[in-house]
Amino acid sequence: MRSKLRHTLLLVVLLNSVLLSGCLPESRTRIDDQGARVSAFEWNIPDSIPLPRVPEDNPMTEQKFQLGRHLFYDTRLSTNGTVSCATCHHQEKAFSDGLVRPTGATGDVHPRNSQSLVNIAWYQSLTWGNPALGAIEQQIMLPLFGDNPVEHGIDEGNFEQILRSIQQDQRYAELFREAYPEQEDPLLGDQAWDNALKAIASFVRGLVSFNSAFDRAELSEAAKRGERLFNGERLECFHCHAGYNFTDATIDRETTFAQLDFHNTGLYNIDGLGAYPEPNTGRYEVSGLPEHMGQFRAPSLRNVALTAPYNHDGSVATLEEVIRNYANGGRLISSGEHSGDGRISPLKDGFIVSFQISEDEINDLVAFLESLTDKEFISNPRFSNPWTESAQEIF
Amino acid sequence: MRALVLFCCLTPLNLQAHYIPSSDTPLTVNASLVATYHSENQIDEYAYWQIPGTMMGGDAWPVEEGLQLDEVKLGLAVRADEQIYAIFEAGTHASGSDDHQGVSLEHAYLGYVCCQQDGPWVMEAGRMSALFSPDLSQHASERLTSEASLMSDVFFGRNFHDEGIRFMWHTETWIAGAEGWKGKAFPATASGTNAWDVFARYSVKTGNIRVSAGLWWYQSSAESRIDHRYGGGHQHTPVGPPGTTISPFPDTRFTGDTDIYGLHAELVYPGEQNIWKAGIKTELMDMQAAGQLQDDLGRVADVEARQMGLSIQPYVSWREHTFGLRAEWLSTDNQVTGAAANQLSGDAGLGNPEGFEPAKYTAIWKWQFRRNLALRTELIQDESLPDEQFRFAFGVIWQQTLWPFNGAGHSH
Repeated sequence: MRSKLRHTLLLVVLLNSVLLSGCLPESRTRIDDQGARVSAFEWNIPDSIPLPRVPEDNPMTEQKFQLGRHLFYDTRLSTNGTVSCATCHHQEKAFSDGLVRPTGATGDVHPRNSQSLVNIAWYQSLTWGNPALGAIEQQIMLPLFGDNPVEHGIDEGNFEQILRSIQQDQRYAELFREAYPEQEDPLLGDQAWDNALKAIASFVRGLVSFNSAFDRAELSEAAKRGERLFNGERLECFHCHAGYNFTDATIDRETTFAQLDFHNTGLYNIDGLGAYPEPNTGRYEVSGLPEHMGQFRAPSLRNVALTAPYNHDGSVATLEEVIRNYANGGRLISSGEHSGDGRISPLKDGFIVSFQISEDEINDLVAFLESLTDKEFISNPRFSNPWTESAQEIF
Repeated sequence: MRALVLFCCLTPLNLQAHYIPSSDTPLTVNASLVATYHSENQIDEYAYWQIPGTMMGGDAWPVEEGLQLDEVKLGLAVRADEQIYAIFEAGTHASGSDDHQGVSLEHAYLGYVCCQQDGPWVMEAGRMSALFSPDLSQHASERLTSEASLMSDVFFGRNFHDEGIRFMWHTETWIAGAEGWKGKAFPATASGTNAWDVFARYSVKTGNIRVSAGLWWYQSSAESRIDHRYGGGHQHTPVGPPGTTISPFPDTRFTGDTDIYGLHAELVYPGEQNIWKAGIKTELMDMQAAGQLQDDLGRVADVEARQMGLSIQPYVSWREHTFGLRAEWLSTDNQVTGAAANQLSGDAGLGNPEGFEPAKYTAIWKWQFRRNLALRTELIQDESLPDEQFRFAFGVIWQQTLWPFNGAGHSH
């Protein structure tokens, strides 16, 4: 009898075990992104890329994008009708210009190299050295209205005349009306300039590039080797050129806290204390803090193979030369007014340390950087000059 | 409800690795070695082991094809006087790479007993294993299976060795205690504010049947916890052979609290004349975590997770042979909220869009063909990942008291 009881107990235990296994709650993971992936604008980006932040007072619309595109390529937006945004930002060069330093409408030479305009919607700061300039709408005012140096050269003496030329263009009347349907006269006075700035910002914000061989996982064998070098401890490239936009100055809708870092890469050391030549002293120009001397924001490496020459002043001609400077832990300039040994600059970023690299490895790394070229981006008619005849046929 | 039924109906007796040396044998030296051949890699060679819907870490490395050292241990127990003893143990565990495989000091603690030779009051302090969970406290040489349970892997990172202090009271039938930890063992971090547990276990013999049941509660906090198996400060691409594309491991961290409670039971029915015996053991763990995920790009999301695990292991022994089955199930219920919820849930391992239900089933034959030497053969149906896998394992277990030859002590 007792034995029977024991066996019954064992059986009950076993049955319970089997039954219990079926009683665990169903597995699931509920995601609430609070609308972070919702946008009325068609960004044409992969699902893996978070949407960029857009100012509340300038939401993206296709109509504003198209108006901004026309304005971007319009040389009437300059003091003498010779310069447009596209003068220094060529689509086939990923919206850089291939020059060491660009020249403005009146002949002023800009101290900085023209930056490419690639995925700048995801940039936390927009210029080489000003951490406070994070809104495209604000940054655009510098080339249009700035006087040191003069780029477009729009000022109090000519802005009404320039506006009139815009107002008289029937195509603009239609584009402004479509872009700002809630306004009675979007081409009226100061409001017209505000509208124009927001439209140009919308176009620039919409210049997105996420269709390179890297994005499509179509890397050559050399590029794969280069990718490993890029992400390796020896070269340390990935620290400053981090994430999906290959810069540590990235911000997007998913970012809550963002730390903006600027870096001194040991390019100059003209006084032995790490000084950079005026007026290109980087973040120091804004903050005045000695430790900020020579600090510049890391640019995105997307389409970098198209944007030579390199560095903030265009003083480095090729990617190979850039890599060699990093391999040396800085740049030695042995003669001339900027002579100095950047390799021993006391202000260098901690990641700029010398490393051994062979010529084959340099070639592999360049192959990886070339794999970041988005050929669709540089030939996409959506981003091209709308004032050409072929473009007018398309749109 | 299920937990209550378990607690009431199942039973158990679980010998754990805890040991109080006897004053009759002032010095005891133990050694063990477990080597197992596995027929398959659990995951691809350059992939990361991540069970969908869970945040893993610690030493929860995947099984690798070929011969693997699951465990090497050398232990020293010293009874200093009537009240004081010391335990030292150095060892290695199976690891995912050579970088992580090294000898570590797993136990180095002092014990104080009051008021008889073995208690009933015991205080221990130093680096030691946790005592609260039978499943967690067993090594490969002490388990019936060579592989750790899914619950231990997911909730505790497989092994639990930390610096802490333990107070325990034990009698013939009861063990109860509390442990406080520094927080170095997953899922805690040393920078977290607390890590502690309480436990109780009751054992009784009714007729021939031995029954034990217990419960425990563990609580810890973590601050910026990374999965140290693959990450830890940098995003890196592992070096694979030419032609292999490897994704960098996401540097996603968890800050928050983790509460885990467990119920366990074991029933052993010895047959006539101790020629054979049958038993069943089970353990249930219920984990709740709440906090934030963040990464080095400044993305943050709130997370609330409730994950449960159940392990059931019936077995039968006949002479030197033990045949057993172990069935394991996990359930994961996670809520991730915030603009970065999509990205971070995936990076942290919590993504589970298909509602995947991890499980694993193991059939075991263990042959104790010498007093200190056993062979173990296992057939494993591994459904812990969406790609199911069947593999087998064959291993050898050596356990020996090197000194003295007839040592005595008090185990829990």
